[in-house]
Amino acid sequence: MKLGSPPEGTITMRKSIRVTAALKSPFIKVGHMTLDGILAAQLFDELGDVDKAHASVPVNQTNGLFHASAAIFEPIDKAKQAFIAGLRETHSINPDQIKKNKHGQLHKKFDSSLTNVMNSYPVYAAPEITWYAEGDAVEIERLLSPVQFIGKRRAAGFGEVSAWLIEDAELDGLIGYAGEPLRPIPIDMFTGDKSLPIVDAAWRPAYWNVLNRAACYAPPL
Amino acid sequence: MNAIELLNQNFGRYLVPQTGDAVADAQAVLSGGHDMAKGGTKQRVASGWAIIKPEGATMQFKLAAREIKYAEKTRYEAFADLLDNWNGTPAILMEFDKKPIPVGNLFITYDLRAVRVCSAKGVETFDYTIEPEKDGCKTHKVLFKQRKSGGVSK
Repeated sequence: MKLGSPPEGTITMRKSIRVTAALKSPFIKVGHMTLDGILAAQLFDELGDVDKAHASVPVNQTNGLFHASAAIFEPIDKAKQAFIAGLRETHSINPDQIKKNKHGQLHKKFDSSLTNVMNSYPVYAAPEITWYAEGDAVEIERLLSPVQFIGKRRAAGFGEVSAWLIEDAELDGLIGYAGEPLRPIPIDMFTGDKSLPIVDAAWRPAYWNVLNRAACYAPPL
Repeated sequence: MNAIELLNQNFGRYLVPQTGDAVADAQAVLSGGHDMAKGGTKQRVASGWAIIKPEGATMQFKLAAREIKYAEKTRYEAFADLLDNWNGTPAILMEFDKKPIPVGNLFITYDLRAVRVCSAKGVETFDYTIEPEKDGCKTHKVLFKQRKSGGVSK
């Protein structure tokens, strides 16, 4: 089904779906880029509250584990992209708050963290990204339809989405056909192939929070 | 147990008072100055390595804390020793540098197929059971070369 014209009866509430983003430009992926993370980011923009946003994600969950997969894609090319951010104290910090030198003047460079910093990101070129999930397809569609860019460095043009597609699917967003994890799943909640490696990964949002990491089965990064 | 708890319980609590804010305590461990074995002013751990396991921590940089074990090995010798004698006990492998390691870069290694080496620059992840790829990470390449030659890389 193409977004904007949901045929009645093809997508029902709380069912297994496949979400596909057709891409116009390469994207930058750091972490697993789970579908619930993307939806929570959209909800945060609407609600302005992290906890409310996470509580409103329209995806099934079991004890905090969202039934939504990590990003699945087949890259046709992979590269590194570096960005240099120039951090200048004079732009944003009140000089009165900065320690002065013995002549009563500002230190030219008062903090080594306020300088140029270079960040390098992995860039992937792929025609599309797919996610599997169990949830409210109508609400997921509502949240995704305005999303024009995904991944990191969106303002620089990476991860431009040309179309979203939501279809019925068989997978629940947790475990794939071969028993592999489709997203980070804590070891005591995983029912798939336990011969796979265990990794330390964030398994619930906020994914940036180090306290949300645990021993998990997870797709390779 | 997550990486922050493993760090604080088996390493950090010997170096900084525990305040109840686990992330702040871990940050203080990694970025603050600590009493040195040789005395003198406090210094931040700015070189060497550490391996932190539930049964205790071992590191190269000699601090005053007696609860931590100290070893003269290079980082690659220490990591190779751990990985070659892997018994499944979770461990944090850290490389120290002038810049402190951000707490976001702390990950536990649970499996030889997904070894994680944490440093200020980032986190290296590799499969120790296979040969490194051409664009593989430095630690994996050095450890593999070291193992293949039976020698020691500094």
